Amino acid sequence: MRPFELTAPETVDAALASPGTFLAGGTTLVDLMKLDVLTPERVLDINTLPLQGIDTTDGLRIGALERMSDVAAHPGTYPVISRALLLSASQQLRNMASIGGNLMQRTRCGYFRDVSVPCNRREPGSGCPALTGANRMHAVLGTSESCVATHASDLAVALVALDARVRLVGSDGERTVALADFYRMPADTPEVETDLRQGELISEVLVPRLDWASRSTYVKVRDRQSYEFALCSAAVALDVQDSRIVDARVAAGGVATVPWRLPSVEQALRGAPPTQETFEAAAALATEGARPLSGNGFKAPLLRRTIIRALREVTEEDRA
Amino acid sequence: MTARLDSPLKVTGRARYGSDHNPPGMVFGYVVLSTVAHGEVTAMDVTAVRDAPGVLAVYTPFESLELHTPHNPIMGATWVPLQDTDVAYRGQPIGFVVAETFEQARDAASLVEVSYRERTPLTSLEDGLAAAEDAPPSMDGSPHTVTVLASGVESIEDALAASPVVVEATYTTAPQNHAAMEPHSAVAVWESGTLTVYSGNQGSDLQAASLAQALAEPLSAVHAVNPFVGGAFGGKGATSVPAFLAAAAARDLGRPVKAALTREQVFTATGTRAATVQRLALGAEKDGTLVALRHDSWSSTPMSRAFIEQTSHSTSREWYTTPNMVISQKMVPLNIPPTTFMRAPGEAPGSFALESAIDELAVELGMDPIELRRRNSSLAPPGKDLQWSSKHLDECFGIGAERFGWSQRSEGGRVDGDWLVGLGTATAMFPALRFPASVRVTLNADDTAEVATSGADPGTGLLSVLSLIGADSLDIAPERVTPRLGDSALPSGGMSGGSTATASAGSAIMVAAPEVIDELLTLAAAPGAPFEGAEVSYADGRVLATDGRSLTFGEVLRAVDRSSIAAVGSSAPGEEMSKHSFSSFGAQFCEVRVHRWTREVRVSRMLGVFDAGRIINEQPARSQLMGGMIWGVSAALHEGMEIEADGRLANGDFASYLIPVNADIPDVDVQFVQYPDTLHNPVGARGVGEIGIVGVAAAIANAVFNATGTRVRNIPIAIEDLLDE
Amino acid sequence: MDISLQINGKSERLSVEPGVTLLDALRERLDVTGPKKGCDRGQCGACTVHVGGRPVLACLTLAATVREPVTTVEGLASGDDLHPVQQAFVDQDALQCGFCTSGQIMSAVAAVEQDVPDVREFMSGNLCRCSAYPNIVAAVDQVRGADASV
Repeated sequence: MRPFELTAPETVDAALASPGTFLAGGTTLVDLMKLDVLTPERVLDINTLPLQGIDTTDGLRIGALERMSDVAAHPGTYPVISRALLLSASQQLRNMASIGGNLMQRTRCGYFRDVSVPCNRREPGSGCPALTGANRMHAVLGTSESCVATHASDLAVALVALDARVRLVGSDGERTVALADFYRMPADTPEVETDLRQGELISEVLVPRLDWASRSTYVKVRDRQSYEFALCSAAVALDVQDSRIVDARVAAGGVATVPWRLPSVEQALRGAPPTQETFEAAAALATEGARPLSGNGFKAPLLRRTIIRALREVTEEDRA
Repeated sequence: MTARLDSPLKVTGRARYGSDHNPPGMVFGYVVLSTVAHGEVTAMDVTAVRDAPGVLAVYTPFESLELHTPHNPIMGATWVPLQDTDVAYRGQPIGFVVAETFEQARDAASLVEVSYRERTPLTSLEDGLAAAEDAPPSMDGSPHTVTVLASGVESIEDALAASPVVVEATYTTAPQNHAAMEPHSAVAVWESGTLTVYSGNQGSDLQAASLAQALAEPLSAVHAVNPFVGGAFGGKGATSVPAFLAAAAARDLGRPVKAALTREQVFTATGTRAATVQRLALGAEKDGTLVALRHDSWSSTPMSRAFIEQTSHSTSREWYTTPNMVISQKMVPLNIPPTTFMRAPGEAPGSFALESAIDELAVELGMDPIELRRRNSSLAPPGKDLQWSSKHLDECFGIGAERFGWSQRSEGGRVDGDWLVGLGTATAMFPALRFPASVRVTLNADDTAEVATSGADPGTGLLSVLSLIGADSLDIAPERVTPRLGDSALPSGGMSGGSTATASAGSAIMVAAPEVIDELLTLAAAPGAPFEGAEVSYADGRVLATDGRSLTFGEVLRAVDRSSIAAVGSSAPGEEMSKHSFSSFGAQFCEVRVHRWTREVRVSRMLGVFDAGRIINEQPARSQLMGGMIWGVSAALHEGMEIEADGRLANGDFASYLIPVNADIPDVDVQFVQYPDTLHNPVGARGVGEIGIVGVAAAIANAVFNATGTRVRNIPIAIEDLLDE
Repeated sequence: MDISLQINGKSERLSVEPGVTLLDALRERLDVTGPKKGCDRGQCGACTVHVGGRPVLACLTLAATVREPVTTVEGLASGDDLHPVQQAFVDQDALQCGFCTSGQIMSAVAAVEQDVPDVREFMSGNLCRCSAYPNIVAAVDQVRGADASV
């Protein structure tokens, strides 16, 4: 860890006025500072800023400093969101990590986390050992020659499926951005991960009202039952009426460089009956454009199967 | 049954492990590791390090702490760091930075600039197979290849060719790390020419001896203290790098030094279990009778070739009756972290191969796998005359099959919703061993007793065992016995390893206790003593005279004005080894669920039935076996070091080197058949630390086959092994 | 920087660099060594303490950012009387080497307090290499059973 200055601004304006790296739960920042992956000179402890609150009066509004555990436990949260949260990390980490911090967490790519090896995301232009190295955990979608690291957040996958937006505040004012647009695929600038501008802060997350998302789930596939990042995950919400799928939301995690919405899968589900045949046909579209690496070819079939499993789970009663 | 005696200290945070010691004036050391796997350190620029805040010293191969290679009879030579510039693996200790605070030491260590002359590393076991070397003789002195052929049989190939049914397959197992929760660490304090080291290790007297040799100090000047060890599993048999460096730096600086490896450093700078490739061929009659067995094994080993994982010698050599058998062991030297003993070394990976192959043979024969194992159960190891001292494996399988509902198992498993459910079984065996051990038994004038040995209790329950066997041998209540261990000033307890501690220390107690009782009786009947001239005996903690008078041993000692009397007893493997073969036995049962769509394997039920001789303390023994079985789950489904072509460990942390979490583990049923094995040692116990893991990975792979029809011959079994599209 | 911490009901004043974690402040400055450093990366749970009554990982918490009272395993027992969860760990043999035990117990206390629906899942942020997992679940169940029967 490199020496740094720590201050605790008491207002949002004060936080925005002073350049520095924001510290909320610390579960990403402190970890990566100890590894010398992040070396900020100034750290702003924003935990006392008034960015709390969960409001469910029209859709869902979550203050950026709400902790994962509190959001997961909130009765007004859609199942896909609470499940994505409860399948994340551990209860201790969920007590610490904020919602804003969760969305800003960095990739778990082992090369990114190891300063003794190159990484284009950490040191632009230095190279990407994952292209030929240990890449079983890496992405097959949204990748580039410069970076194949997966996005690590489960929550973001659920939120992207629900068309969530983030409110960003900066010294020039505030704006809201669709979360799906907030994240950047690596292309040839993998160091640019989000649309966040210098000095901007996520103040809240907005999820539009979607009543039928009460029928939703998050399926996370991994090598152990808990306390692990996803090999592959699927967020699914379905509107089923009279044995027809009226509308669908599907997004995937663990397989892509950003939370991966799957409009073609959704389109294939709309209007079809909630049957195994429908699910298989729709899921087959999920991996169009997938580019497997030496060690993760299985992620394409696994993604299709994970989507089928999630669709089966949210329609269990209909099929019974 | 007695609760673990150190539990109250452990549940309140009062048990002080090595790095929990904070002597006044202490400073902190941080180890620097190589970032190449093969070559030579040509220079280390430490200018920035020396200028960093709080830095007291920087040690490198160029400005080193002098350390000599220590040897001990069990571990052989132990490598000491910073004595030359050779780099044999990535993650090898090459430097040590000492500063006033932990943070200063860590942060300064990141400023070391190292230059290397790199050479191409060899890191792949698969690529190295062609250049494999014959292994040195195994632990029992057997040559790398052992051949047993029935008279008239020319070769094992002929025997296999003549077998009506043959199965042949190759199995692989991943390299592993012990991953004890306590990283290797030490606090070293020099005071008036004497070194005290607090460092978790499997034998304090061995550790003291090794430090004394390394530092060229007399043994009397080194005191190793480790009453609490945060897990070991074979990985703390040797004295660790931080212990050597902290001790030497403390001497150099005249300040106490604390040094701990980071979790990442533990993965390369300590020891690991080797990767293995094993080729099995089994030939049988149509009724299942084995007629030929061939088991060839290749194990990775570091360039030092210091330790070889012996899989065929540890399993096929002894497990089944067969008239024709060839086993072999080869090694493949690689630029990888050191290999060493790890829970059931040899037996754990070996049993995955052998017990999977037996299951494959059962499938080929259309025979129940338990019946196949029964049919080939050995009375003695093939080609040896020495029969098993006490073997009740069939009974283990019988009890297990009944408890587990084995008769409900169907070919092809069963389906529960979207889960495919299968059952599997396997044999477990682990040799019964003893190491030399000494224990001191003391009777005190306050009617308490002490049982003391330098050996370690890294979670095994040895502390409670000392108390129980001590109480039994002295015929008093366990509450009156104070057990002590983990201190090199106590009589030499040797290594807590090889599932030997109970039998070794217990036997020594059974030597020492009668001696101290003899001395008590002599004192009691001596001139001027309470029973002067009388014929006396001892029972129930009392000295008894034939006239009916009796006194407690404390009363006798007080009467003769002695505060205590003590005797040291020793035990070592003896002539029993020339009369019988000794092993523990077990039957492992697992039920797995494999998701029909996403193919995760989860273990839903487990049972192990063990024949391990007499069980001294049932609850901790059960916990030990349960822990071993869960290690089997971990080996089967979770853990494995992934070493890249350049020697970098791709998954050297707890987020990516997976061991099971609570949610992975179902209730685990552990049963004993208890037949005290007094042919092996007077206690009748054979040890339970290792046999729990043996066979579990095979039982799981066999259950996966039952559930899915897919035979996976590599561990850990991953989702992609079971995806068919 | 100068900071003050409430540790097990006691006020402590410290001068530390901003980068010092709560875990290192406890272990290396205050000699509170119950919380253990098993990984220092938030990947094992051995350092679990309660801050403001909730389990968190002391290794990823900067000491200077702690504003609420801290409870470690040393703060659970009252005098010689073990906390019911501590007693249950003894009764159920829910430990072997004991190195992860402090963290396990701090999570188990929360599991009991929150009456969590799935103990195994809730306790999955605390690795135990000795693999006492089933006994740890039994210890939590023992305390919950006792509560239910009161």
